[in-house]
Amino acid sequence: MSTTAPAPTAPRTATPPTALPAPGLPAPLGAGERLALVVVAVDDSVPGVRSLSLARPDGGALPSWTPGSHLVVEVPPGAGRERRLANAYSLTGETVHPSAYTVSVLRRDPQEGAAGGSAWVHGLAVGDTVTTTAPRSAFPPVQRATRHLLVGAGIGITPLVSHLRSALRWGRDVQLVQVCRGGRGAHLDEVRALGGDRVTVLDGRAALAAHLPALLADQPIGTHLYTCGPADFMDAVLAAARALGWPESRLHLEHFGLAALDPGDPFTVTVTGGPTLEVPSGTSLLEALEQQGYDVPHLCRQGVCGECRLRVAPAASTGVHHRDLYLDDAARAAGDCLMACVSRALPDPATGRAHLEVSP
Amino acid sequence: MVSPSATSVPPWAREPHVEPADPTGRTHTLLVVGPGDGQTGTAVRAVAAGWQEELGAAPVHRHDCADAAVAVDALHADLAVARVGHRVLVAGTAEACLAVRAAAVRAGLADDELRFGAVAADVRTVWCVHCSATTTAAVAAGGVVACPGCARSLLVYEHVSRRTGHHLGFMVDAEDQPWEESA
Amino acid sequence: MTSTAPDLVAGFPFPFPNATYRYSTNVEPARGVVTTPAGQWGDAVVDVDAEYHRELDERAAILEQDPSRYAVLPHMDVACWDAMLCLMRELALARPGSFDLEPVAGGARPSYRWRNRLLDIDHTFVLGDPATLPAEPLAWITSQVQEDVVLLDQRDGTLFGDAGVVTFAADWSFGFDVGMSFLEIHGPVPRIHPEGVITRAHEFLKGLQPGETYRRTNWTLTIGRRLDVSTERYPEWGPDRAMVRTVDDDAFGRLVHLRTEVQHLVRLPESGAVMFLIRSYLLPLADLARVEPWRARAADVIAELPEDMADYKGIATYRHRAAAWLRDHPHH
Repeated sequence: MSTTAPAPTAPRTATPPTALPAPGLPAPLGAGERLALVVVAVDDSVPGVRSLSLARPDGGALPSWTPGSHLVVEVPPGAGRERRLANAYSLTGETVHPSAYTVSVLRRDPQEGAAGGSAWVHGLAVGDTVTTTAPRSAFPPVQRATRHLLVGAGIGITPLVSHLRSALRWGRDVQLVQVCRGGRGAHLDEVRALGGDRVTVLDGRAALAAHLPALLADQPIGTHLYTCGPADFMDAVLAAARALGWPESRLHLEHFGLAALDPGDPFTVTVTGGPTLEVPSGTSLLEALEQQGYDVPHLCRQGVCGECRLRVAPAASTGVHHRDLYLDDAARAAGDCLMACVSRALPDPATGRAHLEVSP
Repeated sequence: MVSPSATSVPPWAREPHVEPADPTGRTHTLLVVGPGDGQTGTAVRAVAAGWQEELGAAPVHRHDCADAAVAVDALHADLAVARVGHRVLVAGTAEACLAVRAAAVRAGLADDELRFGAVAADVRTVWCVHCSATTTAAVAAGGVVACPGCARSLLVYEHVSRRTGHHLGFMVDAEDQPWEESA
Repeated sequence: MTSTAPDLVAGFPFPFPNATYRYSTNVEPARGVVTTPAGQWGDAVVDVDAEYHRELDERAAILEQDPSRYAVLPHMDVACWDAMLCLMRELALARPGSFDLEPVAGGARPSYRWRNRLLDIDHTFVLGDPATLPAEPLAWITSQVQEDVVLLDQRDGTLFGDAGVVTFAADWSFGFDVGMSFLEIHGPVPRIHPEGVITRAHEFLKGLQPGETYRRTNWTLTIGRRLDVSTERYPEWGPDRAMVRTVDDDAFGRLVHLRTEVQHLVRLPESGAVMFLIRSYLLPLADLARVEPWRARAADVIAELPEDMADYKGIATYRHRAAAWLRDHPHH
């Protein structure tokens, strides 16, 4: 295929010019476009953690991504998984036109209640094909920070690796404090090599508890704090920061390893113009709508990604019990939207009736 | 038709208003901007006293400043050693508060680290968009002020810069001027 | 007599899909081709047309005279590199024969070779290393695109207009607005706040994912083929609004231009900033009237526009004449 470059003064032609991707760089992605990637490397050197490298089948560059981003990986049904899962994993490698996306996945045992996505990842081999979203950003570095303090635990180090790399690349002040049992864990050698004395590794939560108050009490006022790890760990880090007067604008957390939500109380829902449906305890609004054949866009089913947002008619509803991590306070207060995967109806205090009217 | 809450002019720069102190702060800088025993000086000291009572035992670095420039110097000195957890409170006229806010914003403070108590809101510093001169005058938004730089009559627009604290002023009668034949 | 080149008519993004105009959160995915009665537009995020050299020269002259049209707050350094790389990539997609961005292997940081054949540029640089560029990244790339650029930093749930090069502003001052939040910048615009248009736009922009690119259009009327109708230069162009009421019909049709802004919104990947591109297209009523559906639709929209919106757009004193002019000048 060859095209002759139009001179700047040439009239436009009636047919659209063919957009040829520049050599080696990725074509623009369409909205919601999925990537079909090939496993090009696996690394099992840290017990219980598998690092995967995923590349385009033609080896070309992949779309750039924001530090702290994750990839949502589709896990097909099978091996005890009733339906397709969509698991989010933080990207850890090069951000700019990378030749591969790398993620690290901690194996969680399905026999202890895990949904089975990580076990599936641990069964992948080089050459297997994986379907993912484009990288999604929900935990970016704040450009205006004069210092970035990164506090991670266990596999929660993964989004902080790209934060560290970015801060070093762009000459930002950065410090990483990582908690690992036995002082061992994924990416530790990598971040030590990257960050040198900017990296502190602590053995266990007790060591962190001893270290944290003095650390958080002595950060220059331009500092932002980023934390990722188990929910109770992040709660402890944030509580310590708040106790020392850290304002919310300087606190950032990445919500992976979410604790399971309680099953919730039953309620009813009307899709505007349609019939009224029952949503039993233990069934999400998203699942109830899917069972009735509604096609609601969704990804994470954890209230994180923002895909399954529905409009709520406040006047026809008794109230929304927001349980997501996506909507901000203003959107919640407006009461006119919710995330269908986790949020439910609040009962009317007078009648006890719990009902929502929603539309796409 | 323009919603006050959505514009660049903080509510306390429209009419006098005192925001509550933030009890979640660990330490505080309190800038009391207002000279002497006049009406403004008395009012800002009352605001400062109210905040100090709200803050109880929390450490407060109080600076009584003759004007906004002195307050900005005191702010910079405190911020040079401040740790996260620090808050800044500014008591003064709206014009002084806007000037100190501009310095705080440029220094990297976030909105949730700043509190303002404006005791008067009748004076504005207006920046001429045509020649960049500024003038400070008792003029309401929507009023007109003469530019000391280019002598144009400036409409004082309901629009305030975060980075300078100045109101935008632009030529009020451009469309009444004789035009050039070549236009 | 008209000086409008044929490709400027064929590529004009006519901004009135409906018979009336109100503010709305009118965003759509970028790159969709829009076919018009005169031609088409919309296939590219950055558009290079017959005015390329002339508009770039004009931008350089404006910046020389008034450096406040270019502002970069210190924390926006990453966003400026990001914007440069993104715009180079978009130019290469739009005109692969004229522009080329090629990764260069090796080195700890990504490196690229950039070729702009229209300006005779062939340059290799290292991302993030200012010593490898002939100018600051945002200044350099905005000397190679016709679009104005505003970079919005996202922090604390808010977007802030913290960097940009805006030489072709339609009745606003970038130099004054730099550093303001998105909502503050739009504070003076009537109707958009109570109707929630601007807060919805803000929420939408905050949710853009890396690389996602959307667009919208806006419009006004401008007297003369004048790209720089900034507030800074209002004393120069303001009198035209009175002048145009006094000229004869022929001159009126040549002087009054429909001005369309095609705005692209891109989430830049490395910095997480949102890049706002504003491209201004001007078409005199005399040329607009040669395209019958445009003439009829523009007459209806301009006549019906509510007074407060016409007032904010600065067209209240002559828009009824513009509508009448269009009605009275069917093309034969």
